[in-house]
Parts: sequence; structure tokens; C-alpha cells
Amino acid sequence: MITIVNEKSPHLRRKDSLARMLIDVLIALAPTIVFALVVYQWDAARNLAISWATMVASEIVYVLIANRIKYDGKKHTFKEHLKSGWSKVTINNVLAPSVSAAIFALIMPARTNPYFMIYPALILGSLFAMIIGKLVFGGTGSNIFNPAAVGMVFSKICFGSKYIYQSRPFFIVTGGTPLTNSIVEVPGLNSLTGKWMGINEVPLESLLFGQVGGTIGEAFKIAILVGMVYLLIRKAADWRIIVSYLSTFVLLMALAGAIICTRHDINFFRFLAFQLLSGGMLFGVTFMLTDPVTSPINSPSRFIYGSAAAIITVIIRLFGALPEGMAYSILICNMLAPALDYYKWSSPKWNKRYVIILCVALGIALLAVGLGLGFGGEVVAA
Amino acid sequence: MISRPKHIEDTKGLLGQLPTIDAPVPDFLYLATDNARCKGAEIYVKEGDRVLMGQKIGLRRAAFFEQPIHATCSGIYLGKEKHYHRSGKLVDFLKIQNDHLDEWDPSLKERSDEEIAKLSKEDIIEILKECASVGLGGSSFPTYIKMQGKQPIHTILINGIECEPYISADHRLMLEDPESIIGGIRILQQAFSCKDARICVKSKYSDLRQVYGAFLKRPEAEGITLCPVGNFYPQGWEIAMIKSATGIEVPSGHLPGEFGIANFNVSTVAGIYQAVKYNRSVVERLVSVTGDGIAYPSNFRVRVGTPLEYLLQACGGFVKEEVPKVLILGGPMMGASIPSTDCIVTKTVTSCIVLNAEEAKEEPCIRCGSCVLSCPTGLEPQQIMQAVKANDKDRIKALNPLRCIECGLCTYVCTSKIRVTDFVRRAKIFAKL
Repeated sequence: MITIVNEKSPHLRRKDSLARMLIDVLIALAPTIVFALVVYQWDAARNLAISWATMVASEIVYVLIANRIKYDGKKHTFKEHLKSGWSKVTINNVLAPSVSAAIFALIMPARTNPYFMIYPALILGSLFAMIIGKLVFGGTGSNIFNPAAVGMVFSKICFGSKYIYQSRPFFIVTGGTPLTNSIVEVPGLNSLTGKWMGINEVPLESLLFGQVGGTIGEAFKIAILVGMVYLLIRKAADWRIIVSYLSTFVLLMALAGAIICTRHDINFFRFLAFQLLSGGMLFGVTFMLTDPVTSPINSPSRFIYGSAAAIITVIIRLFGALPEGMAYSILICNMLAPALDYYKWSSPKWNKRYVIILCVALGIALLAVGLGLGFGGEVVAA
Repeated sequence: MISRPKHIEDTKGLLGQLPTIDAPVPDFLYLATDNARCKGAEIYVKEGDRVLMGQKIGLRRAAFFEQPIHATCSGIYLGKEKHYHRSGKLVDFLKIQNDHLDEWDPSLKERSDEEIAKLSKEDIIEILKECASVGLGGSSFPTYIKMQGKQPIHTILINGIECEPYISADHRLMLEDPESIIGGIRILQQAFSCKDARICVKSKYSDLRQVYGAFLKRPEAEGITLCPVGNFYPQGWEIAMIKSATGIEVPSGHLPGEFGIANFNVSTVAGIYQAVKYNRSVVERLVSVTGDGIAYPSNFRVRVGTPLEYLLQACGGFVKEEVPKVLILGGPMMGASIPSTDCIVTKTVTSCIVLNAEEAKEEPCIRCGSCVLSCPTGLEPQQIMQAVKANDKDRIKALNPLRCIECGLCTYVCTSKIRVTDFVRRAKIFAKL
């Protein structure tokens, strides 16, 4: 006898799943992870292992607690509660924290001074990222902030003065200036410190091939670009965010470069290339800003979201007290996402309101960059 | 995957090439007393009476129109029986024992071409009303009401797009019976006194382009053109079709007639030709039986009133009987699932699709935005879903879910396998309150 199931239309589903999307992000992260493991060896392995174990464990503990047997007047043993919770654990409860953990581990430094400070930085950062950044909101799909960025910022605020951003020569670059083989053991410095004043000294090849100081994942740009292309081909990241971010970034940096190059002995294109290739900007825009959970849902909102993140990054880079502000700009824009999607003005198509918002934001940013660097006056070097 | 689907995977490539088989007429035929638009009917014949093919044996009553019921075979009327209707409801059906003589009601006279040429719009409307001509694409909306519109029509669009995957009844009809379609279009041209008629088909069907390329050169096909449009789903939605074929955008809540456009399904047009030329109602229609749960997918020419089980047996029955099946009448995206094989093929059944039921596990929404990108009406299904979950009526109303055409794309694309369409349906009920 045949069983006929009654269901509502539609009866077809696209071959796609949440797990596939998460695995795509992990695959896109793989080149960066491989680079980190080759170059930073034990340091990278330790970063990845500690944050992965902490994040997966906290997510699974959360699922077990959230799916314990509901109060029904009877007494249940701990084992029964555990069984009920365990039945709800899915592959996505491992994959989602794995993505967060990989990103978090890759935006942490390789060493600290003293050396043992990296352990509390990693463990507390991972716990904060998962619990405050994600689980208190209700787990996968409900978080407001990118968990990895939350954890990174938390660790940096708590342990930042102990960080050492090392550069470890890996590729032998022909034609560039000789690379420093010595490990610069100055805490709190990465390739962007000193702002644009050191641009002439930093060879672009070394930026491209990760021969500069920085976190373990952000240095090697080629691996990140491979990941970005993979994400775009598999459509696991929305191209609108990446395109709007990069174009706004280039636009604002071009203005800044045009002003700076008239005052200093810096090549305009070198300035642009330096800004594009240094710091965690590329890593952040590829893997953190495109996180669909924390970005808006309409395509014009996504454009504005990407632009807003670029504006904040540029302003922090040029005028901020920090060397760079990728994580901060991501967190600030995560807060903007619900406002951009507010039902009273949200629309999946471009309308006048969106265009005005975008133009006003860009105008203010251009004005801020221009005025900040001094259209007429002397350049105030940071 | 954050994207709008370009096409929906299907098996039509195979089925569209299969010629239509004349399904043998079964010994008992069943005619619905109720349908999607009509509740309740009046029966003119008594049990045991002999009825003739095409004879009016009853009258369905709806809110603002009446629709005669025509016998689709000659035989003995045996009384009422309950079966499932296309809409998924148990409905009274009139059971007729077929005597296999197919004796037509002698009062139905054939019209010559000269007689047809003299008919006015009112005459044609009267004929269509008598022959119970309805939208055969699935809407079952009476054609004569559609034609009563007072606005002048400048373009007639014939919908042969059949954008749903799997089904190919309209494709086969267009290949096998171009004469009826062109005849039907001529009657429509005459009724609306409008020359410009366009047959919209998917641009990927080169076979249709070849057949109609030859047919439309004939003198009687004056003014009729073939209009290849996009291959995507839902291109067959009338507003998407009008936009692709003429460039006119019909805002939601308006009828195409207000913009000078009349649109008809190809099967309806063939039905109009049968009605006007031979004074006959639709007694046969093309039905595709397909899906991965059926042994031999086929296209059938089926007598209206045939039990579905009869067709399923003709297709070799189910494969993998241990797997639960979903039985769909209509396309797999918008068609209704029926709870039993005890169902009857009515005029508006275009296809029967048997799918192996797949249990998809629902995951939390990750706001990937595929549903927003895919929605053909420009809604935000994800936001509507959140509003329904939050029970926030103001938000639901502000998101305007009544524009939804229930095409099902939001559920189809969902990365987290959420039945988003069901939430939007609930929102529509909320918004009407």
C-alpha cells in the first residue's frame, strides 16, 4: 500500500543547505589557514585548536541547556536531560562555531609578551565571542554582532598591550627591498602603525605575500583573494557587500591619497595599493562583513551597509587612535543593519530614500576625509 | 547560496518530446458538482437516465455566475459519489456509466466559417457561457466574464509559457494542434476587434518556433505573432508575461484589461475554438503524468472525468513503493497536493506529478536574503516571516503581503529549508483582518 503525504506547495526545493554554505566558508578560509600553519606553525595551530575547542564546546553546551526537558512536574535525571539535548545537536552546531573559531583564530596575533598571555586572550576571547556575541541572542541566525569580531575586540581591549605582531619571511621576493629577518618584538605594532608615513619603506610585494607584521591570517593577501573568489563563485557571500565596500574604500582613499601626495613624497598609486593591501581590511571584508546573519537582507541595504563599513574603516585608519578599525567598523555596521532593514522604509529595490542615504553618507565621508586631512592647510601626520 | 534561481531543475526536456497518447476512456466517468469557484449544483437528470455527450446535465452555482455541467460521454447517469477534487476537498461527483458509443447531443450544431465570421462579441460570450468555457491553465475563471470587460483591447496575449517545471501539456498541445489554437485566436481577434495577437512561449523551445514559423505564414493567421519570452519561473505569471511581451507594467491590484491587454491560456484558446466551431464544451484535455515517483512518465489526452488512478495505472504505477509519495495536481511549485489517489481529472487539471516525499530538516534562518532576491513581486518574505512569528500586525500590514502570488520561490530557494511561503500565506490572512 502506497503512502500519500499531503503537503503545501511548493513541492520542490533547491539543492542547497545551511551546512553547504558553512562548508563553503570553511573551504574559502582553507588557503589562509594553510598559509598560517606553514608560516606560524605551532602558534597558528595553537590559536586554531584552542579557539575551535572553546567555541564548539560552548555552542554544544548551549544546545544541551536550551533543549533540556521542559518542566512537566516530573523529576528527570541529568542523563535524561542530556539525552534530550543531545538529540537536537546537528552538524551545523559544529560547523557554525568552526567558522567563527577559524576567523577568530586568524585575527589573533601569533605571540604575546609574556608568552602565556595568549592563552587567556584566546580562551576568554572565544568564550566572550560565543556567549555574549552569539548564544545570548539565541544561537545561529539570531546574533546581532559578528561573533569573531566581538571576541577579537574583547581580547584586544583586555590583552592588546601584550600583543606582538610578527612578520615572518616566507617567500623570497625578487626585486623588493631586502626583507627584515629579525622579528620585531615591539608590542602593539602591526603593518599599519605609523599610518601613511612609512609607506615608502614598505615594499608592496611584501604586503601581498604576507612578509609584514600582523595577525596570523590577515597578512597573506593572495590566500584571502583566492577565498574571496571562491565565495563569490559559490555565491556563499553577497557580491554587493564586497563590491560596495571596496569601491567606497578606494574612492575615499583616492581622495585621501590625492591630498597627501601633494604634501609628501608619496606616489598616489603606491598609497592606494598600500591601503588596499595592508592590515586586516581584505580579510574582514571577505569573511566577516559578508556574514549573512549580521548583514541586512535587502540588496540596496547591503550596498549601503558595505559603504558604511568602508567609511568607518577609512576614518579610523586616517584619524583614529587605532592603527586600523576593520573589526570596529564591522561591529558598528552590524548595529546599522536592523535600522537599514526597518520595515517602514525597507524595500528590495532601489528607491529614492536609499539613494539619498547613500549619497549623504558618502558626502559626509568625503567631506570628513578632505577636511580632516586639510584641503588647504598642512597635513597633520598621525 | 545567495542568489535568485535562474531556472528550476525539471524533467520536461524528456517529457516534452513524448507524443501525446490517447488514454482509453474508462467505464465510469465522474463530473464534479462543486469546483474551486462554485459551491452547490442543480442536476437536471434523474438516476438511470441516459445522457448524451455534450448534453447539459446540471448547473453549478457560484457567487456571481452559473456554469452548466456537460456530460463528457454518452451513457447512464448513476447518481452521486464522493471523490477528491483538484482543490483537495471531498466533493460530490456525478457518476456516469460509459456506453463507449460517444454519441453527441444532436442539438449541438457545427458552425461554418461564414457563420463564425458573422458572430458579434455578445454572441461569442453567449456561446462561451453555454459551453462553460473556463480558464484551463488552472484558474478555472469563466472566460465569458473575462471577455465582458468594457475597456478597448489592443493586444491579445496567449500564454503558452507553462513556466512550471515538469509539466508539458501546453507544450504538446501547441505542437500537436496549432489549427485549434489559431482558430481560437481568430475568434478572440474578432470578438475584441483587435488584430495584434501574440503567442508567448519560452524562448528555449526551438520546436515551437519551427512549427509556428510555418503556420503563422498562412493567410488566416494574420496579425498573430510568436513572441518568445524568458525561460525563468514565474514567467507565466500574467504580470511577468505582459511585461516581457509588451513592456507594460501592470501594478498589483489592477487588471490587465485596464491597460488594453487580454490574456488567455493556450488550452483555453483551443477550448474557445471547440466551443464556437462545434458548440461543444471541453470533453478532452491534455494531462502530463510525471515525476520521479512514477514508472513511465507520459502525456495523455484524457476524457474529462477520468479517475486519476486509471491514469496512474496507465503509467505503470509507482516506483519505490516503500517511499511515501506526494501527489500533486498542477505544477510542482503552485499545485495542490491531494491526500489520496481517489481523485478525478477535471477540466482544469493540467498535470499529475508524483514525487518521492523528501523530509527536509528545518534550520534557523540565517538571513541569506535569497527569498528577497527571488520574490517576483518585490516582497521581503524573510521580514514577513519574522513579523508573523512576532505576531506584529502593523508590521505585517506595512510589508504588504497581499501582493504575494504564492509562486513558492521563497520556499524553493531557502537555504535553511524553511517553508517561508506558509508564513507569507498566514501573513495574507492577518493582513486581510
